[in-house]
Amino acid sequence: MFLRLVADSFSRRPRHKLLTGAALALGMAVATAAISVSLDVGDRLAREFRSLGANLVVTAQADSLPLEIGGVDYRPVNAGAYLPESDLGKLKTIFWRNNIVGFAPALEVPVEAWTKSSQTTSTPAVAARTTLMGTWVNHSVSIPDGNAYVTGIEKTNPWWQVDGRWFKDGAEECVVGKSFAARSGAKIGSALNVSAAGVNSSLVVTGILSGGGAEDDTIVAPLMMAQKIAGKAGEYRRLYVSALTKPEDDFGRRDPRTLAPADYDRWYCTPYISSIALQISQVLPGADVRVIRRVADGEGAVLTRVRTLLWLVTFASLLAAALAVGASSAASVIERRTEIGLMKALGAGSGTVGFLLAAEQLLLALLGGGLGYSLGILLARLVGQKVFGAAPQFSFLVLSVIIGLAAVVTLLGSAIPLRRASRYEPAPILRGE
Amino acid sequence: MMPDRKMFWLIIRRIFASNRARLLVILLALGAGAAVTAALLNLQVDAKRRLTTEFRAFGPNVVLVPKNSLSTASATLPESAARSVPSHLPAGEVRESSALYLVADVSVPSSGKATSAVITGSNPFGFVTTFPRSPNYTEANHSAENVCVLGVRVAHQLNAQRDAELTLSASSRRESCHVGSFKETGGPEDDRVEISLGAAQRLADLPGRISAIELRVPGTPGAIQGYVADLQRRIPEADVRPIRQFTEGEAKIYDRISGILSATVGLVLVLTALCVMAAMTNVAMERRNDVGLMKAIGGATRRVLRLFLAEAALLGLTGGVLGAAIGILLSMWLGKAVFGIAARPRLIVYPVTVALTIIVAIAGAYPLRRLANIRPASVFRGEA
Repeated sequence: MFLRLVADSFSRRPRHKLLTGAALALGMAVATAAISVSLDVGDRLAREFRSLGANLVVTAQADSLPLEIGGVDYRPVNAGAYLPESDLGKLKTIFWRNNIVGFAPALEVPVEAWTKSSQTTSTPAVAARTTLMGTWVNHSVSIPDGNAYVTGIEKTNPWWQVDGRWFKDGAEECVVGKSFAARSGAKIGSALNVSAAGVNSSLVVTGILSGGGAEDDTIVAPLMMAQKIAGKAGEYRRLYVSALTKPEDDFGRRDPRTLAPADYDRWYCTPYISSIALQISQVLPGADVRVIRRVADGEGAVLTRVRTLLWLVTFASLLAAALAVGASSAASVIERRTEIGLMKALGAGSGTVGFLLAAEQLLLALLGGGLGYSLGILLARLVGQKVFGAAPQFSFLVLSVIIGLAAVVTLLGSAIPLRRASRYEPAPILRGE
Repeated sequence: MMPDRKMFWLIIRRIFASNRARLLVILLALGAGAAVTAALLNLQVDAKRRLTTEFRAFGPNVVLVPKNSLSTASATLPESAARSVPSHLPAGEVRESSALYLVADVSVPSSGKATSAVITGSNPFGFVTTFPRSPNYTEANHSAENVCVLGVRVAHQLNAQRDAELTLSASSRRESCHVGSFKETGGPEDDRVEISLGAAQRLADLPGRISAIELRVPGTPGAIQGYVADLQRRIPEADVRPIRQFTEGEAKIYDRISGILSATVGLVLVLTALCVMAAMTNVAMERRNDVGLMKAIGGATRRVLRLFLAEAALLGLTGGVLGAAIGILLSMWLGKAVFGIAARPRLIVYPVTVALTIIVAIAGAYPLRRLANIRPASVFRGEA
């Protein structure tokens, strides 16, 4: 009988139920879309922020101070300390290895460079003094677990643009900065003679680099070439690491040495920039890992703000959806005064009537919530696809939150009119008063 | 016509007075929609503007260096060049700092330790972002003339403590200073000693000269580009370079964030409007009995319809006016919660929201039009 009454109410007034259901579905679609986007946006934006490049820099602890102004290091080659290249695979063995999106070692050598053309043209045959930076491009590193990982400077300095192509790893090739190209006359395809401390070598220019900074006046070559020219086989001076991180909060900024063991574990297992830095320094002995504050703090500030903003927008839209849906279900109960009166006149108790109406509303919440969820997910996908080129992950959590929210909102919305309905005297209602 | 109009308003008043619960429900739905609309519209514009300011947490984004500074690192600019930098932009103030770089020997007389380091003479002193969040940052008294800020690696090398005396020497010139604070940025500043510009100029024997001007230019990526082009025309003797790492990265991120914000706000607005409309339609549909009765006692269909549409418009107006006011307050609070500064209320948002609410309310009541061909008799018989 109970089920028949519910089924009857749905089939007798399909349009009313449809409208209440539509309001519910739309409200829940807003909620789903907003929650899905907010849940997803942090990770996606963190990845976007990697276009700012490396956020960690590693140098040897014993290294001397670089005397670098305007991209030219005035320090002799033999000064300072170096780090072994062979250790670099260990970076992908740390706890947060999957958060490391790229790393590139660098070895800078002060060199004299000249091209054939700069000797033959009317300009005097000057050998230009500059820096040759050896690094990786698309380099395959073997990781201790047996796999290989491909990384290079294009991951840590993504704003560097190369006209032509990057050099091949290990080949006698190089790219030259655009200012250096302008003053030395180097072109794509021309041979560049490089000499440092009596070692002469010839590199083929494969591209012109523009980065907007000091690199525009340097030569960038494979790390192996730079090591050969500097006489530092298998060594590098500086390492750039680009890692996905969680913005530092008050907990993340605490000094790990002062943390209690349980807190320390929590700190260690959170991808804060400082805990990733600590993990890197544990696998690279003798290295000094520093956070590039300019990138990391800026990222943290912006990311935290955007996340808070989107959560607040989500919250506001949830509130609006809840109010509109609540109002809609309240209206659908109010209009059924006559029916309630009739049921009570026929001997139904207030509890039974309330239970019947609540069951109807819940069924509607389930249907509307489910429909709204699918609609919302579709819209969130659309937004994700359009803005980030990737749809947000399906999350079971969102589905359960939405269905739960729909149930709570409809019940709350109908609770007040239901309470009043339970106090109705049937006779005046049936008389139409 | 006169009594007619009086009757019209009388009925409207009665409609409102007759069912308070219903009135409240409708106002709640419309008001909630209006509040969210107003809050999001107000916040959206403000948040985008704030974001560009927020990006300045990344530090300077434009740098002025002497032409050909790359080939001859000793090239300098006159200090007066900084004065031709326009400092007011619609998006906010441009902050600038001049710097002179030189290599000098740094020693601690008390311990005898010494090293060579790059010295930065900067004006205003301490500008090259000190990150207050960095755990190793300590606030220094920057007002004294002979205070210097030591990069952490220099400090490590010299084993210098706070307030230690330092001697800086280049050729035969000497300056001394005491350590005011340390700086850890992960950038070249870690390897440098920062002193006041005047002291650096004396040390380098380059009075009135600087090596670079760093600027923090607020505004959208497009605006910054325009500013750079304009600056290059004003100061032809310098090379104006946007720091591509930040200008390009920021442009990309700004596009993403403003895209996600617009998309979310648009989505929420459309769905909220539809949701409110569905709720309104639901409410309007229950007026069939009233329509039937009015028609039975001789109301013309048009007049009856006008009555209900007027009711909807009035409800929309009330809901909109109340909701939009709440929404603007809400957005100010949201702005305060997110960016620390209350969002500036935009007056245009208010009428737009109210108009939108009225439109939604009327559109919600519009299905009543279909009640025009209701037969009064069938309504009274209780037929659905």
